[in-house]
Amino acid sequence: MRRLFGYEERSAALFLAPVMAVLMGVAVFPILYSLYLSFFRIKLTRPNRTPFVWFDNYTDLFTNDLFWVSVARTVTFSVVSVSAIAVIALLVALLLNQDFRGRRILSTILLVPWAIPYVANALMWKWIYDSGYGALNGILYQMDFIDKYMIWLGDQEKTIFLIANAFVWKEVPLATILLLVSLKSIPSDLYQAARVDGASVWQRFVHVTLPAMKPGFMLVMIYETMMAIRHFDLFFILTEGGPGDASHVLSWHIYVETFRNLSFGSGAAMSYVLALVTFALSYTFIRTLGRKV
Amino acid sequence: MARIRFENVEKKYANGFHAVKDLNLDIQDKEFLVLLGPSGCGKSTTLNMIAGLEEVSDGRLMFDDMLVNYTPPHKRDVAMVFQSYALYPHKTVYDNIAFGLQMRKAPRDEIDRRVRDAAQKLEIAHLLDRRPSQLSGGQRQRVALGRAMVREPSVFLMDEPLSNLDAALRISMRAEIKELHQAMQTTFVYVTHDQAEALTLADRIVVMRDGVVQQVGSPDDIYERPQNTFVASFLGNPPINYIDGTIEVTDSSTARFVRGDLALTLTEATARKLADCNGREVRLGIRAEDVDETAQGGEGSVIRGKVNSVLPVGSDQFLGFDFYGEELFFRVGKDLSHRLGDDVALSVDLNRLHVFDKDSGKTLIW
Repeated sequence: MRRLFGYEERSAALFLAPVMAVLMGVAVFPILYSLYLSFFRIKLTRPNRTPFVWFDNYTDLFTNDLFWVSVARTVTFSVVSVSAIAVIALLVALLLNQDFRGRRILSTILLVPWAIPYVANALMWKWIYDSGYGALNGILYQMDFIDKYMIWLGDQEKTIFLIANAFVWKEVPLATILLLVSLKSIPSDLYQAARVDGASVWQRFVHVTLPAMKPGFMLVMIYETMMAIRHFDLFFILTEGGPGDASHVLSWHIYVETFRNLSFGSGAAMSYVLALVTFALSYTFIRTLGRKV
Repeated sequence: MARIRFENVEKKYANGFHAVKDLNLDIQDKEFLVLLGPSGCGKSTTLNMIAGLEEVSDGRLMFDDMLVNYTPPHKRDVAMVFQSYALYPHKTVYDNIAFGLQMRKAPRDEIDRRVRDAAQKLEIAHLLDRRPSQLSGGQRQRVALGRAMVREPSVFLMDEPLSNLDAALRISMRAEIKELHQAMQTTFVYVTHDQAEALTLADRIVVMRDGVVQQVGSPDDIYERPQNTFVASFLGNPPINYIDGTIEVTDSSTARFVRGDLALTLTEATARKLADCNGREVRLGIRAEDVDETAQGGEGSVIRGKVNSVLPVGSDQFLGFDFYGEELFFRVGKDLSHRLGDDVALSVDLNRLHVFDKDSGKTLIW
């Protein structure tokens, strides 16, 4: 009689057990526990009264105006930054795919933002955007684009775009590398065939380069969208959601709800909404861009 | 109509590599020309220069009587089949074949007619909606041919088009390419390192080595009258055997090739060409099949040795033969039973001997 699990399977299970235990403790348990919490009304200011409320935390969201503001801000931020990342990374990847002097140095320099931690990046941009001693003010003033120092992050109209700019700066290197990999994987034969077939530079780009980059693009879009809609550091360090609610994105809303209002139940519920949206978006991307690849 | 002429053409790369050296070659209209040589010999570079994918560094490349050194590929009226097929992976078979015509803004119904016509001829009409990834190697090959065919080019270029196919398919595709050439009545330039392909397909073969043309001639010329040891070795399976020795001239029409116990009486025609070579060190070439195991040719034609290996190849067998420490291979009938260590005597076909200068490797008789 053959056992269901042979020697190999059982020893594999044994070796995997420690890491599984750790994962259970630090990932699976918190995920399930926060799901559990999301069904209670928990406010740490009233620690003794935590009634079970079924889906109230979820349904309440739909009537919460600030929640919808945060959704709108998140959409703006994500659409602006992801499209900017895709376009800039494409241009930079095309540039770095050419053979020219100094290409290696340029590629190395280009990687620098990627190596900077998110918080350090946020602090750096806080300095750059600073109304008193910021480099942005300094440069624009010396070049006569502005006649007085501006409070950049205090401008409701501009804040979200300035934060997006800082985010794009940090994300472009990785996106560039992902796109460059797809560019490099295009066989040169295809370009030669297209040249013999009479395709112009632009037609070769459209008919050979772009289709071959689709998988790379898909990866960049999914990854960067997920990063953008969940992004927190820049909002925390640069604006704390302000001025007013101008940069009050979903991740910031969750933070405020959970750790400032100490409302753990509804915070957990919103986290779940964000996770589901992230999942749904990446699924849609894979379905639409992944077709015919 | 297209005649291609290379006049003192050179190809040097920026890194200093000299890929093609002083190439002079006339390719006739409607000719099937094969560029043959080992990898790195410059044959693909030559093809790419015809296509316009590589620039000519020096010299003149002419199509008919027009200089095309600086003409871009799509204005040369050439079509090309690549070793990798280079099919556009995201396009259907139909669009792959149609692409060249679409780029030339041919009318839609004209494109459709030509694509379906080519697909019919290549027996891939049922595959038009598929993508290259859904096709077998042989089918991809046909699509690549179709893409070149529909353009109805005046020059058809092929860069090792069969080398990615398995052996059986390669042989049947060879026949189809030959038929295609006859049907299309255009100039074909075909690059390969496979001697059998070259011998079956070509009207003329150009053998190249290190960027230098070694010999240009009909398959028969190249095989029967190689101009040097490189050409002689490159064609033939098993490769030609070489024996180093000395020429002994008796009079203007009699001469012998001598090496130890071996003394081969050369034919009168050969002897006349070697009349002033008395005592010269030469390299004798004997093709594997140019022996007769019955040893009936008389004493002046017999070569003796010990059997070293017997390799049956179905239709006949290769006999490995120890001769002064060198292994010679001969092709003999399979009825003959030889055992390892047997002494054998084979008579050499004296009309088909090749005599080369030992140092330069150049032929002394053709």
